[in-house]
Order: sequence, then structure tokens, then C-alpha cells
Amino acid sequence: MDTLKYFLPQCWFAILGLFLFLYVMLDGFDLGVGILSLTSDDEERRGLLMTSLSNIWDANETWLVLMAGGLFGAFPRAYGTILNALYIPIFLMIFGFIFRAVAFEFRDQANRKFFWNIAFGAGSFAAALGQGFALGAVLSGIRVDEAGYFIGGTWDWLTWKSVLVALTLIQGYVLIGSTYLVWKTEGELQETHYRTAKIAAWTTLIGAIFITITTPIFYESARDRLFNPPLLYVFATIPFLGILLISQLLTSLQRKEERAPFIWTILIFVLTFIGLALVVFPYIIPTEITIYEASADPSSLVIMIIFIGALIPVMLFYNLYQYVVFRGKVTPQNYE
Amino acid sequence: MNFLSDTVVLSRMQFALTAMFHIIFPVLTTGMGIYLVVIEALWLKTRKSDYYHHARFWSKFYVLNFGVGVATGIPMEFQFGTNWAPFSDAVGNFFGSVIGFEASWAFMLEAAFLGIMLFGWERVNPAIHFLSTVLVAVGANLSTVWIITANSWMVTPAGGELVDGKFMVSDYFRAIANPSALVSVTHMFVATLETSLFVIGGISAWYILRQRNTEFFAKSLKVVLATLIAIAPFQIYMGHLSAEIAYRYQPAKLAAMEAQWETLPAGKPADWTLLAIPNNRTEKNDWELSIPGALGYILEFKPNLSEPVLGLKEWTPNNRPRLVGLIYYSFRIMIGIGFFLAAMAAISALQWMRGKLKNDNIAQQKWLMRAWVFSAPLGYIAVETGWIVRCNGRQPWTLYDRIRTSDSASHIPATNVLTSLICFATVYALLGVAYLYFGSRIVRKGPNLELPVPGVDLDRPAIDTTPAEFQPDDRPVEAQQ
Repeated sequence: MDTLKYFLPQCWFAILGLFLFLYVMLDGFDLGVGILSLTSDDEERRGLLMTSLSNIWDANETWLVLMAGGLFGAFPRAYGTILNALYIPIFLMIFGFIFRAVAFEFRDQANRKFFWNIAFGAGSFAAALGQGFALGAVLSGIRVDEAGYFIGGTWDWLTWKSVLVALTLIQGYVLIGSTYLVWKTEGELQETHYRTAKIAAWTTLIGAIFITITTPIFYESARDRLFNPPLLYVFATIPFLGILLISQLLTSLQRKEERAPFIWTILIFVLTFIGLALVVFPYIIPTEITIYEASADPSSLVIMIIFIGALIPVMLFYNLYQYVVFRGKVTPQNYE
Repeated sequence: MNFLSDTVVLSRMQFALTAMFHIIFPVLTTGMGIYLVVIEALWLKTRKSDYYHHARFWSKFYVLNFGVGVATGIPMEFQFGTNWAPFSDAVGNFFGSVIGFEASWAFMLEAAFLGIMLFGWERVNPAIHFLSTVLVAVGANLSTVWIITANSWMVTPAGGELVDGKFMVSDYFRAIANPSALVSVTHMFVATLETSLFVIGGISAWYILRQRNTEFFAKSLKVVLATLIAIAPFQIYMGHLSAEIAYRYQPAKLAAMEAQWETLPAGKPADWTLLAIPNNRTEKNDWELSIPGALGYILEFKPNLSEPVLGLKEWTPNNRPRLVGLIYYSFRIMIGIGFFLAAMAAISALQWMRGKLKNDNIAQQKWLMRAWVFSAPLGYIAVETGWIVRCNGRQPWTLYDRIRTSDSASHIPATNVLTSLICFATVYALLGVAYLYFGSRIVRKGPNLELPVPGVDLDRPAIDTTPAEFQPDDRPVEAQQ
């Protein structure tokens, strides 16, 4: 029974990690394209950017809804405490989502598209910013009482560390958005995003270096674990792998490859995620509440593995099928 | 104005506002999803291009509603954590799991296949396209099933008990199949369908009145009518069953629905008030218009009550719903609309049988068509008022008889909630205006009957790989610029 008590929360930590990763990767390029649309001064190009997302933006966003639903069910206390503490970043993200979601359809209908262009671009930016603050705040710690309820202040989430994480996350989104556009577009539009991808690769790298350096310095509770085997070996390799991947990415951009930059970027995201997961584990709210303390009743976790876990391959399959159906370069869509 | 500094009240207001605004959009997409399946099946069966153009025309409303539905749906999920953290913690074992089921079973299915349904007409073969339309409808309606199951469980909790303030589930299937789940899910499912069909019928009637594409819209009106004849009366029966569940499991809600302050004994006939002015302070109705002996017939189809109907005074004021007048009148508005819509279906069916709805004479049914246009928004009002009854009638509990609403709200500064509430009110007002504006533009523009029908007059390959600049631009003129 005791092993079950550890095993089930670990399972759910892994499943939620997978959902969050899929979300950050998929909605990452989605939001990245949205942020990039702010720099586009041409209505037709902006239309193409939005068309490249029109069939998938909602499915991508649904991974977050799924992650939140899973967190609610598997770690109810963490769900309440985290969202409670992050009231402002969460609502920043939500209002960003609202504006960008309606912009897809409203812009298509509108004669004067200016307002909805801004809604789409700024909405994407606000959503990414909110997520960055949220991630940064969770990593730098949330104040809770003994029962695990949030006892901090309204502005606790705003620290220089969360600002750093937010800025880096936005760079990462712009990077993956650029490489997505390199893959899905052609001609002048593709050229532009080879350039933005290069810039974003460098800025992401700088942000990542800062975060990597500052984590062991300021994240005291992690320090002991990080600087002792076996995690030490892992953390010794991650920076090297990271630099290797970024150099591969830059080379592929230099060679004007079309798909490779997107794939290298995904691998960079995977690596970052593994790093983050290892820092956070076994906490769900670092370094206050572990996944074992916050988890729902084991029977709930089992039911959820049956009802949700079993569907993961199915969900992955039909999402992938969608990408196959809409493969190829984006064209102005036949949509009336 | 001291409620402005009360976090619980503000969080409730915010939840009510966001839920009432949100529900407008999924109501249409879930119901219309089924209609689109029927239309596409008709197209595949008859190969009449009209049905194809119907599918294309109505899916414009679908996608318009879907976008706003997603945008306003995300705040619903997150509010459980931001504003109702103690509730989330207490009921996470069951309620949280169900929210997770909804996302994985319903939202993902709907979202993933919606792209193919909207933009895939020329990319996949008709069978796959039809399958996508079916899966979108299934996904949308599964979300009704799961979310209403979760809400029913709040109304009639089952399958476990509270242990140290946390709900411990002993039997998941009993919790899912809680006493009110089946009736509530069916009631809401039919509500979404009925509302959507009256919207489709109302818009069709608008065109028929103006004699624009009369023949085309007579088709959709008849598809709608054929379904409504069956479901509109059925909905009244489902409503009756819902009231019986309140009678049995939530007597305080029933008492508020009927503004009944005194307990009515069993074995006797009882009066039913048609209208009343309930007064919370004096605990009686200041004025009422009642029908003698009617309540027994309404609740049990017989003159005498077999069980007593408890009056509101059986509970102390802090243990019963407070907004009696709101619940009482919302309930009556919902019922009135339910009967009116059933009558609309019946009268229209009668005219159809008398041969008055033929292509050449349907436009002469001016008053009937006007009544259809008038009915278009009524379903929404019935849905909103029904939910007011359901959720206000459950008060002062979030989990009925177990967790109080006042113990469910997050301890956050009231100013935070007030700020987010004001933001929601402003943004939603803007969205509402934009939605109506763009929706009415789609209506004014009308269907595009020139759209090439796949498999008939399509000369392009199924998957288009030609670069964008060599392609004909077949977007609407104003999008080309």
C-alpha cells in the first residue's frame, strides 16, 4: 500500500508533466506566432499567420485545460493554493486568452481589422507573460501555512526572478513560433522568420544561462540536491546538451533548413523541461508541499488513470492526425 | 454597498456573471453540432447541394460561438482555483477528477476535429469529414454530460462522505450516477438542442419573411420543426422530473421555487400560486394569486399530496435560499417559455400538416414566421433562468447540505476580486456587442450558394500543395485586400 502511496502521485506528476510539456510546446508556437504578428505591418501576412493556426489553436490551448483539470483532480490542494497565490498572473493569462481566441473569428469577419489584430497580438503576449510570471512564481516559492493554504500577499508573484523567467519564456515562445513559421510558410514570410528565429535563439540562450546560474544560487533547498550525485551528473550534462542543441539549431537556420529548426527547438524545450522537472520533483509547490502531501485520495488517482490516462494515446493520435490532414505550407484558406 | 468589501459575495457575483455569459455559447454549439450532423448526413444521402450549403452556412455560426465559448470557458475552470480554493481542496477527489474527464473526453475531441470540420472539406474524403462532424458533436455533448454530472453531484452529493473537511469517495459510480444526474443531464441536453433549433428556426424564418432564399430556408425550418415536435413536449416532462427531484432531495429549493413559507400537510389538496410577491422579512407573500388545489396535480398528477411540501419557515434563514423572489420568478419564466415553445412547435406542425408550409406559400405565414423570429432568443432566457433557480436554490450550500458557500471561497483581498469582476464585466460587454454585431452580419450576408460542392464541381486535387502565390484567392472580397 505504501508503494502505491508513492507510485500514484509520481504517475500523476509524470502525466501532468507530459500535459504541461505538450501545452508549452504546442501553444508555445501558437502564442509565439501571435506575438510575432505584432511586428507584421501587412494585412495579408498577418492573415497568413493566423491561418497557420486557425485549425489547431484551440486543440493546443486544450492541453492547458486538460493539465489544469488533471491538477485539480490529482493535487486539489496544490490547484487551489497555486491559483489562489497567482490570482493576477492567472487572470492576465485568461484575459489574454479571451482576446486572442475571439480575434480569430472576429478579425476574419471585420472590415476594420486593426482592433482585432491588436487583440490577437497583445492577447498572445499577455497570455505568455502571465504564464511566465506564474511559472517564475511557482519556481521561486509560494508562502503557505501548515495546512498548505496560501498566506502570502497579492503581489508576491512579482520578483526579479519571475520577471526573468517570464522574459525567457516569451523568448522561447517567439523562438518556437518562428521555427514553426519557417516550417509552414515560404518566400518572404519564411525569410523574415529565419531572422526572428536567430534573434530569439540568442535571447533565449541568454535567459536560459541566467536562469541556470541563478537557480542553484537562490534556490537554496535545491542546492543540496543539485550538487550531490546522482542529480549532479544530470545537471552537469544539461548545459552541455543545451549548448549543443542551440548550436545545431543555429546551424540549421544558417543552412535554411525548413523542418530541422522546429525539431531542434522542440528538443531544447524537452531538455529544459527535464531540467525543471528534476529541480521541482518531488514538490508540487517548491519547496513547501510535496506531491505526496497534495495528492488526492489514491482511489481518485486510480480512477483518473483509467479515465484520463487511457485516453492519452487516443488524444495524441487524433491530434497528430490533424497535423497530417493540414500538412504542407499554409495557403490563404478556402473559407467562406 | 458593503458587499463591495465581501470577498464571498464578489466571488459569487463573478462566478455568476462568467457562468451566465459563458453558457450562451456552448448551448448553441452543443445543440447545433447535432443539427450539423443531421444536415451533413442528409447531404451525403441525397447529394443535394442545398444541404451542403446549409452545412457551410450554419457552421459559420458554429465557429463564431465556439470561439467565444472557448474564450469564456477557460475562466470557469480556473476560477475554481483562484476564487474557490477551499472548495476545490475539499471536493477535488471527485469534482476535480470530473473536470479532468471533461477536458480529456470532451474538449480535446471537439477541438481536434473542429479544424477538420471547418477547414477540411477539400482535404479529407466525405466519410472522414462526416466522422469529424459527428465527433465534434459527440465531444460538445460529452462536455454537457460531464459538467452537468459534476453540478448534479453538488446538488445531490452521493458516493462518499466528508472526512475532516475533505470529500472521500467510496464509490465513484454512485457519485457519477448521483440521484439527479440522469434527469439533469437530459434536461440540459434537450435544452441546448431546443434552444439551438429555435435559433436556427428563427433565423430561417427571418429569411422567409424577407423572401430571401425562401426555398433554401424552408428546408432548415422543416428539419428543425420535425425535431422540435418530439423534443419540446419531452422537455416539459424533463422539467417536471427535475422539480420532483427538488421536491424529494432539496425541499428548501422547492419551497423557494413556489414561494411557499408554510408547510403543506400530506393527504390534502394544496393551492398553487401563479404569481406572488414574496417578502423575506415578514416570511410571507405580500400578495398572491393562487389556483386552489393545483399543487398536487402539478407535483404528482393527483389531487392530494402524498408527502408534505415543506415551507421555507422549516429552516432558519441562514439555512435556506435567500433570494426567494428571484428563484420564484426565474422558475416561472422558464416554465412559461417551455410551454410557449412547445405550443410554437405544435402550431407550426399543424400548419405543416395543412400544407401551409410549402415552398410557394410558406412566406404567406407572416405571423407564424414572426413568432419564430421572436422565439429565437427565448431558449437562452429559459436556460439562464433555469440555472438561476438551480444554483440559487442550492444556497447557502455549494455541496448541498455539506459545504457552505461562505466556507468555499478563497481568502483573497476583496479588491482583487472586485478588479477582476470589473474587468470581466467590461470585457464581456465588449464581447457581447461584437458577437451580436458579427452574428447579425453573417445573417444579413446570407448563405453563399455559389460555393463549389466537393466531389461535384471541384477541380482541384484533394490536398493542395501549390504554393500560396499561385493559388486563386477565393476568400470573400473584403478579406482579399
